[in-house]
Amino acid sequence: MAVSTPALHDALAELVGPAHVLRDPVARARHAVDGLVPGVVVRPGGPEEVSRVLALCSSERLAVVARGAGTSQGLGNPPRRLDLVLELGRLAAVREYVPEDMVATVETGLTLAGLAAHLAPHRQMLALDPPGGDARSVGGVLATHASGALRFRYGTGRDLLLGARFVQADGTVTWGGAKVVKSVTGYDVPKLLVGSLGTLAILVEATLRLHPMPPATRSWQVGLPSYAGARAFLAALLDSPLQPDRAALLDAAGLRRAGLTPDPIALLLSIGSVAEAVEQQGQALEALASGHGGRIEGIADSAWSALGAAVDAPIRLRLACEPRRLLDWIAEGQAGADRLGAETALLAQPGHGVIQMAVWGSQEPRRVGAELVRPLRAAVEAEGGSLVLERAPVELKIDCDAWGAISPELLTIMKRIKTEFDPRDCLSPGRFVGGL
Amino acid sequence: MPLPPPFLRELERIVGAAGLIVSREGLLTYECDMHTFYKGAPEAVVLPESAGQVAEIVRLCRRDRVPIVPRGSGTGLIGGAMAPEGGVMVSMTRMNRIVEIDFANRCATVEPGLINLWLSQATREGGYFFAPDPSSQMVSSIGGNASTNAGGPHCLKYGITVNHILGLEVVTGAGELVRLGGKTHERPGYDLTGVMVGAEGTLGLITGVVVRLTHLPESVKTILASFSSIEDASETVSAIIRAGIIPAALEMLDEVVIRAIEEGIHAGYPKGAGAVLLIELDGPVAEIEAQAAPIEAICREHLALEIRVARSEAERALLWKGRKEAAGVFGRLTPNWLLQDAVVPRSKLPEIMRELQAIGARHRVVIANVFHAGDGNLHPLICYDDRVPGELERAKHANEDLLHACLRLGGSVTGEHGVGLDKCESLPLQFAEADLNFMARLRRAFDPDSIMNPGKLLPSHPACGEGFRPTARPLPAGTWI
Repeated sequence: MAVSTPALHDALAELVGPAHVLRDPVARARHAVDGLVPGVVVRPGGPEEVSRVLALCSSERLAVVARGAGTSQGLGNPPRRLDLVLELGRLAAVREYVPEDMVATVETGLTLAGLAAHLAPHRQMLALDPPGGDARSVGGVLATHASGALRFRYGTGRDLLLGARFVQADGTVTWGGAKVVKSVTGYDVPKLLVGSLGTLAILVEATLRLHPMPPATRSWQVGLPSYAGARAFLAALLDSPLQPDRAALLDAAGLRRAGLTPDPIALLLSIGSVAEAVEQQGQALEALASGHGGRIEGIADSAWSALGAAVDAPIRLRLACEPRRLLDWIAEGQAGADRLGAETALLAQPGHGVIQMAVWGSQEPRRVGAELVRPLRAAVEAEGGSLVLERAPVELKIDCDAWGAISPELLTIMKRIKTEFDPRDCLSPGRFVGGL
Repeated sequence: MPLPPPFLRELERIVGAAGLIVSREGLLTYECDMHTFYKGAPEAVVLPESAGQVAEIVRLCRRDRVPIVPRGSGTGLIGGAMAPEGGVMVSMTRMNRIVEIDFANRCATVEPGLINLWLSQATREGGYFFAPDPSSQMVSSIGGNASTNAGGPHCLKYGITVNHILGLEVVTGAGELVRLGGKTHERPGYDLTGVMVGAEGTLGLITGVVVRLTHLPESVKTILASFSSIEDASETVSAIIRAGIIPAALEMLDEVVIRAIEEGIHAGYPKGAGAVLLIELDGPVAEIEAQAAPIEAICREHLALEIRVARSEAERALLWKGRKEAAGVFGRLTPNWLLQDAVVPRSKLPEIMRELQAIGARHRVVIANVFHAGDGNLHPLICYDDRVPGELERAKHANEDLLHACLRLGGSVTGEHGVGLDKCESLPLQFAEADLNFMARLRRAFDPDSIMNPGKLLPSHPACGEGFRPTARPLPAGTWI
């Protein structure tokens, strides 16, 4: 059944209200995924409406891509087919929040900024700050496993999602996990959904572990004269009793784009604690930095939210390596971009071995693939790492695959999981690893 | 039904004669974990020495549809590492090496049978430790910790086992030997590591673990605060969390437990107090000093009888010995007991403790408490004497009332022990049919023939619908449910 049929539109209008079924070409084009324009955009008003829409899609075998704030639609391969975009922005309610429990249950269309505003009066926070994060939706951040500088202390969505209400491909509303901070009741279903890019189910409600906002916070930029110096300083920092809560590593281009002093390479750190401890650790950090020939300066807290600007490029690679090899891969990435003649900027997660590499240039996508993505990916995969295209022109994604290689044995298991939960291949078909 | 001799010969070919146990006396050791009510000996125990051998065992069992039960140190409390349907038990005790300590990547690769504490001992000199610290850590294995997603007192600050597992090597129920995750902290694809941790051996067998190592804290401060009542202690816990302070550990012990600990271990807990909080802060010196002051003030506001700071490492170690070995002195309290592991939201702690006392009174049973108060993770110990007619029934009723009360307050059936055989049938109290069905289907994706630790983790009730298969054989005689 073709999605453009009036009968389908009528059915959808009945489910979510006619105002929330967008069929005009402009709106549809705005919700295109990798150039593929959906036949219709639907904006459900609650989990039950998501359920009804998905049940209908399943019976009609329509391909559905879920969309939160729409800021990270670039992740993943182009969908094999696309009939309907499910826009979740209306699911923005805070369903339960008891500050004393330090747990909140929210609808997944809520933005991180919206959630933060809700929590701030109680001096609590969701410790997730992916670049450009304020505008991003909770569901999108979870489904893409996005993370930022706060990962250094608090981990990622994998560590913070306690429970999830989700809608399966056939419309079944399902719950996994718990609403308390500690529970081992059955399988950890939320873990399966984090990073699954809407290919197994659509997240509609997230129960999140919150943290108290530190009473005092100070941030520093430690500029290092060389990569070798940065490597030594980082190792010394990790082996020290210092407990930063945020950490980010930027190259000179990244620093410049983020509006910071363009040292050859710099570590941004913040320490959040009681005021006395911030003071004490700040002094220890200064001593450690100068012992490594570093230049240390205090920076404003607002510097952290500007980090997204450092890597806001049409092409963005995400490289994961062994943490000890971080500086080597930063250098490799830059060398690759230099060979290509492209401008680049890097933002990395020290301690976790994750690098976001932004690439600007007018090179043909095929050349970017052949001269940068493929060789870099082959080299890092040989060490057990990975290279993902977080953002890229469609041609580049088709040429290189957004995710890279995955072992056939693992892919077999993942396929069994996908087939079990989405047998009709309706949820973001083809966007995930190995064509899932 | 005994396993046929040709099958046993094939097992022997894989693990060698020294790695196969089939004698009746030999098997008796494996008939239960530390939840000794559930008894079911396997028909054979194998002790493999490599992942390759484990894979061969699984493929062989799969061919003949023989159930497989994994076992680490057997310290679980849920009837997980026992064999209700017989079959082959795979004991990981011979796979107990540290494969690699990689300080540069702050991780270690270990075999599943490695004892938890051994890893921290091996990394301490380098300035690191393995943070998950279940009370059993002196004897429990890291594979077992990963399999049950074990907690421990310090997971209040450091997180539970899954937060410290970077990668696994597993043999799935389909016989595939695969590596999930590893030294890199991210990789494309579904998070199968996260799914496998806590799966209690129902999806596959863990043959290798890559764990995160955590830097040792600069300093530690252990505070003991005693109160005349559980209510005061509970209100104190809520007030500390409300103040935005998350200690490294925040444990509660009640009068009954303190008495038993002091008689058995002499750990220095104040006798006569209604409840004691064991509060530990760790981190930079200035931070813990600054946090200790408001904690002590909160304790005083809630009428603490005594606030004592451990003056030496020896005193601190003794307090923790008392706490961690509390289960060992339960025998002094009561001939028999039921142990709960339910969780309530932190703010509901005072409410559930009042409820718990009412339940004890209603069913005329003594309920002792030693638990992870900061997480709201209760461990009520419902005491009974099975020689006294009716006491077991009263204890079971109290147990059920308690479980329902925790769930009514928004809690969970199990916080850190796991489901095993013990809590299978409680899961429908917490999950709807669709939720359980989802889990059953996830299980099928890893274990298509239902050979992995059958009868555990999920209820077998046929009413739960598609994906649920009743267990092949009834529980053997002598099983206590």
